[in-house]
Amino acid sequence: MILSVKNLTKKFGDFTAVNNISFSIKKGEIFGLLGPNGAGKTTTIKMICGLIKPTSGEITIDGINALENPLEAKKLIGWMSAESILDEDLTVWENMEVQAKLHNFNKFEEKAEELLKYFDIYNFAKNKVSNLSTGMRKKLEIAMALINDPSILVLDEPTIALDPNTRAALWEVIERANKERKVTVLLTTHYMDEADRLCDRIAIIDHGKIIANDSPSNLKKKYGNTTLEIKTKKEVELKGYEYQKEGNNYIISVKDLSNDISKIIKLVGENNIISINVNNPSLDNVFLRLTGRKISEEKTESTKIYRILKSSR
Amino acid sequence: MSLQQIFVLYKREFKKIYRSKYTIFMLLIQPLMWLVFFGSSLGRLPTALTQELFKTSNYLSFILPGVLSLVMLFVGMFASMSLIQDKRYGYLRRIMVAPVNGEVPLFSKLLGGLTRGLIEVPIVLIIGIAMGASIDFSLSSVLIMIASVVLLGITFSSVFLLLTLKTSDLQAPGVISSLILFPLMFSSTAIFPSNLFPSWLELLSKFNPLTYSVDLIRNAFLGYSFNLNYLIFLLVYAIIFLFLDFILGRKYLSSE
Ligand SMILES: Nc1ncnc2c1ncn2[C@@H]1O[C@H](COP(=O)(O)OP(=O)(O)OP(=O)(O)O)[C@@H](O)[C@H]1O
Ligand SMILES: [Mg+2]
Repeated sequence: MILSVKNLTKKFGDFTAVNNISFSIKKGEIFGLLGPNGAGKTTTIKMICGLIKPTSGEITIDGINALENPLEAKKLIGWMSAESILDEDLTVWENMEVQAKLHNFNKFEEKAEELLKYFDIYNFAKNKVSNLSTGMRKKLEIAMALINDPSILVLDEPTIALDPNTRAALWEVIERANKERKVTVLLTTHYMDEADRLCDRIAIIDHGKIIANDSPSNLKKKYGNTTLEIKTKKEVELKGYEYQKEGNNYIISVKDLSNDISKIIKLVGENNIISINVNNPSLDNVFLRLTGRKISEEKTESTKIYRILKSSR
Repeated sequence: MSLQQIFVLYKREFKKIYRSKYTIFMLLIQPLMWLVFFGSSLGRLPTALTQELFKTSNYLSFILPGVLSLVMLFVGMFASMSLIQDKRYGYLRRIMVAPVNGEVPLFSKLLGGLTRGLIEVPIVLIIGIAMGASIDFSLSSVLIMIASVVLLGITFSSVFLLLTLKTSDLQAPGVISSLILFPLMFSSTAIFPSNLFPSWLELLSKFNPLTYSVDLIRNAFLGYSFNLNYLIFLLVYAIIFLFLDFILGRKYLSSE
């Protein structure tokens, strides 16, 4: 095990942000912490990286007790935060230099050059960071996180606020780093497609608790049955079906779609239906099943991006 | 704690100083303002009176060591502003994710502040001399001056850094500076000699490190004798504060 977290809890006053969670990550895995805003992802990451002290619990990184021996543990971690944290007044190269020397690497030049070339940003080495695009910044931050050859790369929402193309490019960067450089990855995200695409295993976290922990395909098999989403004019009773209801919106789990769909339409009444939608197994359904909520409502998404922009400027 | 870590962060501070046009401008303009306005304020006093009050016929010569020391009082504010900025933009987190102890960023900010002050020292001297201050230059007087301003810079940068250690409010350094600058300035011999003070102020001035720095430099520049006790006093202050930086920096900056 590269990372193992046991009964980890963090309280801020009376509020429990992370509630007694346990998980472990094997060497070479990409492990995802998936959860909505405020679930406790960043708090968990900060405890693992030694930025805040847990209220209780244990963290072991590559055999080292991170709470008793934080400096030794920190040598094994490469970290990238959700907000971009770079020194705007310095060049790409100078940012690399600070990072390397904080890790006490005196002869960092060769390694830094190799990493910048690997991520295709070596041409910008002499540019001030303030001139870089968001995508290049992310690449630089990942390169910086790899300068100490970490045992585990910890990425907090690596693709937040990126456009679809840049997001896809960054997925590739993370996958390549994982496959070619053999670095274990822990990432957090609230994008289902991202978790599905990248992660070997996913822990779903909600209100500070881990409510499921498995591979994406197993999660889909276990919890991701097909659902029917029906909007009706009048309220209905759907006897014999498992469903969730919000106003006149019904999300109904079905086992045998072709059979059930006609039954449900009959139950609801053809004239009563405003719209009908079939959702095939996906992590979205898994999340919905487990929490009764959709993970990313448009509104929270945009306020969050706004918040991140505000705090990073 | 590793010197390499402190040094690379200090290098970052240093680059930030010389890459900011406004910083350079201020480093140049501030000493000029001090000297022009302070130096001219008592310029018309009769020479005999100036000689009696200030032990020199030239008020500018009297005030120059005061300005050199006041410069070191001001840099504390910049050291602490720089630390708070790093907290605000998350950069401190980037530092603390590396295997770094909390005193490391604190010492780098202290050195950054000290450097700002030391850059101003030659500028103050040149402007002062150009304006007509007479200085008794010798190796020993220059060494005494450097030792005094360095020790004073360490002390005052530490005072600011320690007072703002736990805040990320960018207004804090300004507030603290307006709270402590005037009491420190006027309870020292930087602008007026202590024989003009009421007794309570004179007592206060004996605890003010500014007094000792000013008097050391003034005695050296005006050709009066050197007082080792004053230097020891400044040294003790600086050591105490370096020690506090170490203890409190490690305690409060190592994790949030
Ligand atoms: N320093 C703090 N003091 C008080 N409460 C905090 C603190 N840090 C986080 N919290 C709270 O803990 C909860 C979890 O926050 P956290 O940042 O870990 O969520 P997250 O899963 O990373 O969410 P997001 O997707 O919005 O980044 C939130 O309700 C947050 O308000
Ligand atoms: Mg977060």
